[in-house]
Amino acid sequence: MEADTTLKTEFAGLELASPVFLASGTCGYADELAEFMDLSILGGITTKSITLESRKGNPTPRIVETCGGMLNAIGLANMGLEQFQNQMLPVLEKLPTRVFVNLAGKTIEEYAAVARALSAETAIDGFELNISCPNVKKGGITFGTDPVLIREITAAVKKECGKKPLMVKLTPMVTNITATATAAIEGGADALSMINTFTAMVIDIHQRRPVLANRTGGLSGPAIKPIAVYLVSKVYQEAAKDAGIPILGMGGIMTASDALEFFIAGASAVAIGTATFIYPDTARRVIEGLRCYCTQKGFSRISDLVGTLQ
Amino acid sequence: MQKGVFQAEVLSNQQIRRCYYRLNLQFDSKGSLLFSSVVPGQFLELDVSSISLPPASLIPEHLRETAAKQVFLRRPFSFSDVIKVNDAEGTVVRVEILYCVLGPATVRMMALKSKDKISVLGPLGNGFSIPQNLQTAILIAGGMGSPPLLHLASYLKHSLPQCRIVSFVGAKSCEDLPFTVRIGNFKGLVLEEFELIQVPSFIATDDGSAGYRGFVTDCARRWLQNHTCDPASTAIFACGPEAMLKSTARLAGDFSLPCQISMERMMACGIGLCQSCAVEVKNAETRYQLCCKDGPVFDARNVIFQAD
Repeated sequence: MEADTTLKTEFAGLELASPVFLASGTCGYADELAEFMDLSILGGITTKSITLESRKGNPTPRIVETCGGMLNAIGLANMGLEQFQNQMLPVLEKLPTRVFVNLAGKTIEEYAAVARALSAETAIDGFELNISCPNVKKGGITFGTDPVLIREITAAVKKECGKKPLMVKLTPMVTNITATATAAIEGGADALSMINTFTAMVIDIHQRRPVLANRTGGLSGPAIKPIAVYLVSKVYQEAAKDAGIPILGMGGIMTASDALEFFIAGASAVAIGTATFIYPDTARRVIEGLRCYCTQKGFSRISDLVGTLQ
Repeated sequence: MQKGVFQAEVLSNQQIRRCYYRLNLQFDSKGSLLFSSVVPGQFLELDVSSISLPPASLIPEHLRETAAKQVFLRRPFSFSDVIKVNDAEGTVVRVEILYCVLGPATVRMMALKSKDKISVLGPLGNGFSIPQNLQTAILIAGGMGSPPLLHLASYLKHSLPQCRIVSFVGAKSCEDLPFTVRIGNFKGLVLEEFELIQVPSFIATDDGSAGYRGFVTDCARRWLQNHTCDPASTAIFACGPEAMLKSTARLAGDFSLPCQISMERMMACGIGLCQSCAVEVKNAETRYQLCCKDGPVFDARNVIFQAD
C-alpha cells in the first residue's frame, strides 16, 4: 500500500509532511515536545524569536488567563544569536521536521544580521520575520504597521536569507491588513504568516493596576479565532491569491475543525499556538482530524481545499 | 524524567476544613508508569476547564461572581502524597492533592466526585534533592506551600529512616492551615497529618490562634537557636509565599545551612514552552530561569526574590 499523501503539502518551495506547524513562542525549540508526539508528522516548527543579543525578557507576571484565551508579555526572552548557534543548531539539526527561525530585532540591521548568520545553516529551512510582537518597546510591531517600513525590512532581510524562504508575520493591529500584506509581498516575502496577537489588558480591580508587569500583553487563544479567519480570508482574496503567495494561518486553533476554517479561508498551512500549552499533542490530533475530513469529503489532497470559501 | 498527558480517576474529594479540600486521584497505566519514580517537590497540571460549576449554594459567597469565569489553561498542583498500589492490572499510582478553593478553577474542582475522569499532565519540574548523608531535615511551610513538604516528610521517613525531621507550618490563622490541628501528646498543638507519619510539627499563626504567634520562619529560628545542627548534614526545605521563602533564605544564611525552596509562579504550559514562569536567579547567564522546568525547587542562595 502506498503511503497516505493526502496531507503532503508544498509551501514556499518546501515539501512538507503535513500542513500543520507549531507557532513561534509556543513550542520552544520543539525538543521539549518530542516526548508528547512524533514530530515528523508536522509540517514544521517556528522557533521562538532569536535576536542578535540575548534578552532576558519582561518581569513577571508575564501571562494572565482571559475568557477563551490568555495574554502574554514574555518580551522576546531568548539566548541570543551566538548561544543559539552553539547550543540549539545541533538540537534543531536532529529534529525530523522543517525548522523556521523567527527573527526579531530593534533595527533592520539587527534582523538582517541574524538572517545572514543563519542563512547557510543546514538545520534551518526558512525564516519568519517577526514584525508584529506587541510586547517590546523597540522593533516588533512598530515595523509591522507601516507598509513602507514592511517593504523595506522584508527586502533587506530577504537579501540575507540565501536560498531559504522568508515568511512575514503580520499583526492584526492595522486598519488595512491588505496594505501590510501587499507590502510584505512586494518586499519579497515567500509566504505570509498571520495573525500575531492583539494588544490587550487585564486589570486587577482590587489594586486597580494591570495584572501583567508589562501592563499590556498579546491576546491569543480561541477568542481571536474568528477574527483571524476573517483576516486570512481577506488577505487571501485581496493580495495573496493573485500573487501566488501562501498563507500560514493561525490564531486560536484548538481542533481540526478550527484548522479547516483557515484552509477554506485561504491558508495553505496552519500553525498551532496557545493550544499546545494545554494539550502538548494538539498538533497530532489536528493532523488526524484533517486527514479524516479529507477522506470523508473526498479531497485527495488538502491543497484542494485551500481558498474554497463559497 | 519522561512526561505525558493521561487520564486520572477521582477516588475521593473531601472538604478538610473551610476552603481546603483533599483530592485523591488514581492514574491510568500510562500515568502510573510516568509517576513511578516521582520525587517530592515535583508537580502536575490538571485540565479542569470542562468541569461544571457546583450548585451556587456550595460556592463560597465571596467567589460566586468570579467563579463563573471560564477556565482555559491547566492549573499546577503539587501533591501531598504519592502511593503505589498493586492491583490486578499491575502497579497503579495514587496521588493526594490538597487544594484551596480560591478561584474559578478550584471552585470547579469542588464538584469532582468519585469515578470522574480528569486529564493530567506530568510529572513536571525538578523535586527536592536529598543528600545521602542528610541527618537533620528542617521543613518550613507556609499555607498552601505545605503539601509538598508533607510528601517530603513521608518520603524521608522511608528513604532515610535515621534522619531527624522537624516541620514548621505557618498560616494567617488556625483556620487557614491546610491540615488537621489537634492536641499532641507532649507539647501543645500538632498537625495530625505529620503526627501520623511520626514527624514533629510546630504551628505558627500570624494571629496566634494556634501555636506560635508570628511568622513561621521566626518559629523555626527559635528552634535553631536551641538545637545544634551540623551544616554538613542538615538541610532546610521550604515552600510557601515568596516573602516567607525570602525570610527562609535569610534564616538559612544566618545559620549557614543549605536551603532548597520550592517557588510558585503563574504558568501556562508547565513544560518550558510559554516562558511565563520566570524566576530571577543570580548566577545564570540569562538571569531568568523557568519555575516549571528549571525549578520549581531552587537553591535559596541563587534566587533574586521579587519585592515584597
